[in-house]
Amino acid sequence: MSALTLGSVGITFGGLRAVSDVSFEVPAGSIFGLIGPNGAGKTTLFNLVTGVYRPTSGTIRFGDVDLVGKKPAAIAAAGVARTFQNIRLFGQLSVLDNVLVACETTRTTGLGGALGRTRAFADDEGAMRARALELLRVFDLEGVADEQPTSLSYGNQRRLEIARAMMLRPRLLLLDEPAAGMNYGEAEGLKAQIRWLRDEFRLTVVLVEHNMQVVMGVCEELHVLDHGETIAHGTPEAIKRHPKVLAAYLGEEELAPGDLELAAP
Amino acid sequence: MTPGPRVSPAARRLLLAAGVFGPAVLLEVGLDRFVADSSVRQLVMTAAINVMIAASLNVINGMAGQFSIGHAGFVGLGAYAAAIVASHLHLALGGGDPTFAHSLVVVPAAVAAGAAVASLAGVLVGLPSLRLKGDYLAIVTLGFAEMFRLVLTSVPLDAKSGVAGAIAKLGGQIGYSGASGQGVPLYAGPLWVFGAASLIVVATWRIKFSGWGRALRALREDEIAASAVGVDPTRYKVTSFVIAAFGAGVAGALSAIMRDGIGIVQPDQFDFRLSFDAITMVILGGSGSITGAVVGALFVTFTVKLIELAQGLDAVRLFQSEHAWLDLNALRMVLYASVLIALMIRRPEGLFGEREPLFARKPRGAAPAGAA
Amino acid sequence: MQALLDALVTGLAQGAMIALVALGYSMVYGVLKLINFAHSEVFMMGAFAGFYLLNALGGADHPVLAAVCGTLGAMALAAALGVLVERIAYRPLRERSRGRASGNVRVTPLVTALGVSVLLKNVAQLAFTARYKSYPQLFGHTRLLIFVVTLVTMGLLQLLVHRTWTGKAMRALSANVEAARLMGVRTGRIIAFTFAVGSGLAALGSVLYCLDQSQAYPTMGEVIGTRAFVAAVLGGIGSIPGAVLGGGLIGILGELAKLTQYSGGQDVLVFFVLIVVLLVKPAGLLGKTGSEKV
Repeated sequence: MSALTLGSVGITFGGLRAVSDVSFEVPAGSIFGLIGPNGAGKTTLFNLVTGVYRPTSGTIRFGDVDLVGKKPAAIAAAGVARTFQNIRLFGQLSVLDNVLVACETTRTTGLGGALGRTRAFADDEGAMRARALELLRVFDLEGVADEQPTSLSYGNQRRLEIARAMMLRPRLLLLDEPAAGMNYGEAEGLKAQIRWLRDEFRLTVVLVEHNMQVVMGVCEELHVLDHGETIAHGTPEAIKRHPKVLAAYLGEEELAPGDLELAAP
Repeated sequence: MTPGPRVSPAARRLLLAAGVFGPAVLLEVGLDRFVADSSVRQLVMTAAINVMIAASLNVINGMAGQFSIGHAGFVGLGAYAAAIVASHLHLALGGGDPTFAHSLVVVPAAVAAGAAVASLAGVLVGLPSLRLKGDYLAIVTLGFAEMFRLVLTSVPLDAKSGVAGAIAKLGGQIGYSGASGQGVPLYAGPLWVFGAASLIVVATWRIKFSGWGRALRALREDEIAASAVGVDPTRYKVTSFVIAAFGAGVAGALSAIMRDGIGIVQPDQFDFRLSFDAITMVILGGSGSITGAVVGALFVTFTVKLIELAQGLDAVRLFQSEHAWLDLNALRMVLYASVLIALMIRRPEGLFGEREPLFARKPRGAAPAGAA
Repeated sequence: MQALLDALVTGLAQGAMIALVALGYSMVYGVLKLINFAHSEVFMMGAFAGFYLLNALGGADHPVLAAVCGTLGAMALAAALGVLVERIAYRPLRERSRGRASGNVRVTPLVTALGVSVLLKNVAQLAFTARYKSYPQLFGHTRLLIFVVTLVTMGLLQLLVHRTWTGKAMRALSANVEAARLMGVRTGRIIAFTFAVGSGLAALGSVLYCLDQSQAYPTMGEVIGTRAFVAAVLGGIGSIPGAVLGGGLIGILGELAKLTQYSGGQDVLVFFVLIVVLLVKPAGLLGKTGSEKV
């Protein structure tokens, strides 16, 4: 059973093909890596899956749900959560409120409840709050719950984005360069957290990442893009030795297989 | 909210209801008795109406971060709808002097009509907000408000049939003074005006301190991130427009049929100046702050009154007869505009920013975002 | 039929004049992404400046001298006013908001622009009173003059934007302010220059308008300014040919509306056009669309 299925997905921007004919399946419950050099179309692919862009061709299925043509909010409500490469937190909301924003799709009371301040509304809000605090605890952020996200360290901001995404109760989590700007120790922590999230919430995780320490450490399957096209697909072990991948990453020079391992202890 | 003995939710609700309707009932009974000067009564009620206008505009301009510069259009629609309904009902009920018993029928019907018409317009104006941002949306709201006014003023008054005929019955530039032309019946006493103002303030307060308010703030900060966590911009933006239009419609309706009012609704009461006043009220106090909107509304109401009083002074009249250029209303606008510009340059968040200074709340833990 | 032809000619003359004002909106928007609501009041101030200058220069006694010098003088004064507005109201905002882009920062320039507009309108009310001021009758063939002047101005403007270094700097600024700054463009100067040119054109438009329609009054900015703004949006805000096209269309449309029984409905129609354009093709007829990068 695959959690996410892409069939010949392509998109063009004003005549420029950003992604063309990309197909892959992400097995349910796996941690799946999407890698490739800068400008390979990885983030564009995330934007296609989450409905920010509409593909010019191809199909995108989340389980049995067709995602093409759905609006971002509807896709989020269906259970696909994401983080952003260039962190997009709500700067003027507290850390806790940043997480709470993501409860709108799962809450049971609407505007009427809020206006009447009904008991159901209070219970709902209380439950959401408890859950948000729990998530902050998981990501070691409960101490800064009342602060503004802009005052957090880079690593903490990235973790807060993941916490916010998890508030949606997603079944598929898309992480866009979660290890960017993290040091060795933080990246090791992130690896453990990603695995823990997957196991605890029975998630499927897709990550775009340049940090090979993280990619090779947690991903069970990799898909490699270059210039918007698929160049390889397989296990981390196989990808490490794939000649096309090496060429794409390191240029045309001949390099010994295994050079990528320098970055992946 | 404040530290002290814990109050049970039920008791709290009771207190709130008393707080909301107590003053309204007291004023209904007492205002006419203790304030002999009808212009003062009019001033106090106008203040309440301006509070409604500011609090409702605050939902769009403050909370949702959209920018409407055509709030007067919603107020005007509400006023005209209410004036029409009230005057026809008045005739149906046999005319005469407006009685309190009749007001129990007429006011709710008129206010409902005003609010409904304005809300409908809110949907229409809110829809473009999905595609347009910032300046462009502002222009659409202005366009709507001006169209409303221009349609009323430019229809040929001798038109007899069709849409033009129906609009011509509203009196064009001269204004609408009831179905019989004897003036719009003034049914809404202090109970209605202050009751509605309190309700609108409490409602916007509850919206602000709920998931809705949070989602609106998130949308304002970053629409893409907000929709990625399930906040649908369409729903939230259009709804906030409808809520704001509803509030403005109620305000307009009550201003048209307000006791001690002037008994006529004219297109020029709802021109750009009203929209600009409303923006001033919201910005001055601090976009997003409900306390700020109330303070801003009171400030604007009373400065308008001061100008009016000044114009009545003999000394000022004398000065004006010698210096024809001294237009006090223009002076007021110069003053507002200067304050607004200075504020934008020095302190764009306004007086209070988004805070509610008298109601500082503990950020987290304790009570789930205000049972108030 | 004759009425229709007359309406077309009048409409084109009106349109040419509207286009001159629309250009100011367009240029400022192109560079700053700001709708300069105060532009319509600069237009109005230009009309008053022209009125006083024309009369001071002898009015109908020396029509050519008065028209040429009066117009140039009004343009210079309006340019100065435009630069002043930019200096006092807009520049401080830009300097503070640099590097930030969230929440109220986007609304602030809008409120400021509105504030400046209301300020200027009411200052004019105080300074010139609400009474209409009649322009001296200088020429017989004002229409023709409007056409020629407008076309020549458009040509010059097109040359300025596409053939000079300053024009290149303006285009660079409109693509990316930060990058232009890093490439050595003195952004402050270029922005001030843009305001000066836009405001000068508005004054040219207002003097021509008044020579044709013969009256200046404090609220004229609202009426004509709105039409000019709609023209700019209709043609595609930020585009010079767009402003001309939009101006022409709005001018003709307005005159055609006068032929119907709803002559007062001209401005309703203008707003209606505006809303339809914004909904159907927000970039305007000749504008470019852009989208946000995620």
